[in-house]
Amino acid sequence: MHGIGVILGRELLALLRSPRILAILFAVSVCSAIVVFLKWPTSAIVDLDGARGREVFRWLTYAMVAAAILAVPVFPSTLLVREVRRRTLELLLNSPLSRSSIYFGKVLAMLGFVMLLLCSTMPAMACAYLMGGVSFSGDILRMYLFLIVVCTELIVIGLLVGTWCRNTESALRWSYGITFLLTVVPWFPDALFPGGDSPLAKGMALLKLISPIPGILQLLNQGSVAGTGLIELHDPVVSYLTFAAIFITVGSIVCILRLSHSLLDRARSQGYMTDDQDGWIQASRRILYLVDPQKRSKGIPPLINPVMVKEFQCRQFGRMHWLLRLVAFCAVLSLLLTLASARGTESRGVEFTGALIIVLQVSLIVLLTPGLAAGMIAGEIEGGSWNLLRATPLGPGRILLGKLISVVITLALLLCATLPGYAVIMLIKPILQPQVAQVLICLVVSAVLSMLISAAISSLFRSTAIATTVAYGVLIALFGGTMLVWINRDAPFGHSVVENTLRLNPMAAALNAMQASGFEKYNLVPSAWWISGAVSLVLLVLLFVQTLRLTRPD
Amino acid sequence: MNSSTPVVEIRELSKHYGEFVALDRLSLTLNRGSILGFIGPNGAGKTTTIRILVGLSRPTSGSATIAGADCVRDLAKVRRLVGYMPDKFGSYDNMRVREYLDFFGAAFGISRKERQLRIAEVLELTNAVWMQDRYVESLSHGMQQRVGIARTLLHRPEVLILDEPANGLDPEARIEMRSILLRLAEEGRTLIVTSHILPELSRICDQVAIVAGGKLRAMGTLQEVTRELSQRRTIEIQFLSDAGLAEAAGRVRSHLESDAEVTVSDAETIIRCRTGANDEKLGELLRFLITSGDRVSQFREVAGDLEEAFITAAREAEAERSAQGPAKTKAGVA
Repeated sequence: MHGIGVILGRELLALLRSPRILAILFAVSVCSAIVVFLKWPTSAIVDLDGARGREVFRWLTYAMVAAAILAVPVFPSTLLVREVRRRTLELLLNSPLSRSSIYFGKVLAMLGFVMLLLCSTMPAMACAYLMGGVSFSGDILRMYLFLIVVCTELIVIGLLVGTWCRNTESALRWSYGITFLLTVVPWFPDALFPGGDSPLAKGMALLKLISPIPGILQLLNQGSVAGTGLIELHDPVVSYLTFAAIFITVGSIVCILRLSHSLLDRARSQGYMTDDQDGWIQASRRILYLVDPQKRSKGIPPLINPVMVKEFQCRQFGRMHWLLRLVAFCAVLSLLLTLASARGTESRGVEFTGALIIVLQVSLIVLLTPGLAAGMIAGEIEGGSWNLLRATPLGPGRILLGKLISVVITLALLLCATLPGYAVIMLIKPILQPQVAQVLICLVVSAVLSMLISAAISSLFRSTAIATTVAYGVLIALFGGTMLVWINRDAPFGHSVVENTLRLNPMAAALNAMQASGFEKYNLVPSAWWISGAVSLVLLVLLFVQTLRLTRPD
Repeated sequence: MNSSTPVVEIRELSKHYGEFVALDRLSLTLNRGSILGFIGPNGAGKTTTIRILVGLSRPTSGSATIAGADCVRDLAKVRRLVGYMPDKFGSYDNMRVREYLDFFGAAFGISRKERQLRIAEVLELTNAVWMQDRYVESLSHGMQQRVGIARTLLHRPEVLILDEPANGLDPEARIEMRSILLRLAEEGRTLIVTSHILPELSRICDQVAIVAGGKLRAMGTLQEVTRELSQRRTIEIQFLSDAGLAEAAGRVRSHLESDAEVTVSDAETIIRCRTGANDEKLGELLRFLITSGDRVSQFREVAGDLEEAFITAAREAEAERSAQGPAKTKAGVA
């Protein structure tokens, strides 16, 4: 227990000293205050049924979930990677502290941060309570306890990721990716393959239960939104808590086992190079591999931007054999989406399926782009290689172009994956052809805008972890935050305010072009393209100016 | 270009960060094929000078040229003339050594065919052929230093600027590094090497420049620098036998200043003195010993110690700083 206390004290103190924590707590307090402000009764008539209070409670819960998903993975995921890089983990492991006390000390410190995060919403929650319709023990306390479990799961994910990743950038990317995989992704299969008694449909419905969102909706008395059919047979709260308990226990055991000296000395085998093997092995590998990862590269071809090649080589999954796997994965994904489009259009209509595919694609863009672009300059500065690049004859334009092209190619591959889904939509309803074309333009605009936002942020910071976190924050605020205005479209925001806000969001423009439910009455295309185009241009100029500044002598 | 042609010329170079003076009118000249040991305490201005030479920083005043190319105006030319190895390696994840070198070769515009030849050549020169397929991030510090030198050599630069190349290396790797640097100098390249490992530098450098407090305190051969900066010299007086050595030591002591250190080594039949006496005074001492009947076989000055010269320069800078008032740092007033 003493060991846990030592680690807890040190970690919590370090967290509380960080200005970033203060900024996050301030942002969450302001956001929760805005929620109360937006939903505060405007008429003098007393709301006796407490509907208004419940609405505020619901929105505050959404805000807390969003804040938890956004802010909580950042610290645990980078914590262990930093300790390994600074060699402070070595000092801890060489001390009399046990591995479990180190682990639990860190988990408790992170939970301390979670407590602060949740406490910052308490004044707003008190307002919701005072408005009536919300019980303290039945609603508020249960929700806070449920969120603490969700956050504990996120902390375990972050710490687990930290024992595998070598740098903060990839730790952040993987943490957000797994968080997204466990919270949002389980919803898509059920939405794409709805209803039915088939084992596949049942499996999809059960998969949804690993996400905390059905449980949260259940606690908000919004169970009908959360599930249909099978899900109603299981209590989503109990199901999630069971899953979370198993995950936290297993995750903690794995993490404690991995918390050893082996983290500090992770030699990477070079493998056997094909060029050094016998002739028959070389011949067989030529047949078996489209691109042999163990074959010596012949060097960067002429007329190809060396920075682009370097970017692909440095990326964890950027090499040609990985790109081929990505293409194969995208092909499978596109087949699934095609199937989903065909099935979904029968039961829910073309527009609903189209909207779902759009949201899925934009979610993928938001998830992947900061990982690809937010470290492009910040990572080089942090790793010390920027000065080496500056000392070469490569100009800022060529450096920037190489880096941007490497992101564009990867994003283009991802976007291409879902094109067959739209082809099916057009086959079912040929009249939608011009709309689909508009949707595709919106998606390209979304990808370009996301890339330039992440890249521009990268040029403003010297730490990849901060740049990546800020890029995620800005993208989520752009694609998700503007949708909050749309959700409040009847009150307090009027039609023009909502329309003008949605013009900033190319995903909303895509949904508008698809005539998705709730977006039909707005006129977002082509004005959203022009706005995004203009913003992209400004970002591109900013990026170039920053790159120029950073490559020039100090 | 012959060996007496200056390759690096720095004239009145100054760099100010606000009120903080990182470099104060530093001037030096370096000829082709020489190895300059650029030493000084932390914050002395070594890295600032190097960054200006490689075009990463702009001087506040003064000029620096490399093979006639101005380090501010002819930046593109300077980058091709200089091979720079910073103290931080600058690793890229997931890249093999050969790919790492290939990237930098391509960045310098070397054709693919030529690049392959040069990579093989520099790996050979730095004894790093065996690590060509290794991942850069998995290399030890010593291996990374060798890859770093290989990278700087790819575009065949005239001048190599190496910031702390021996830092963190084990004795064996240090010996290997020393032989690589000497080989490069033999090939006619000019080297500027910074290091805190002074005995290491004194073995390879034919020129030494000591910088402290942003100013060049001394420059020249090792002997010139130590003589210039050392306040005391070490004199060894060898006698034919150990008979009367203690008495001779007393005579030496009485002839020198009171704080001179005089030690006797009976086994070597040598009296060693650490003294601030000048040549005239030492001549008088020798005459005195001979006229006193001492059987002196050798009277010699021992070559000065670089460490002592370094400490003297650092103390001088410290004294100047104290006289000027509160110290200022790059970030502001300390």
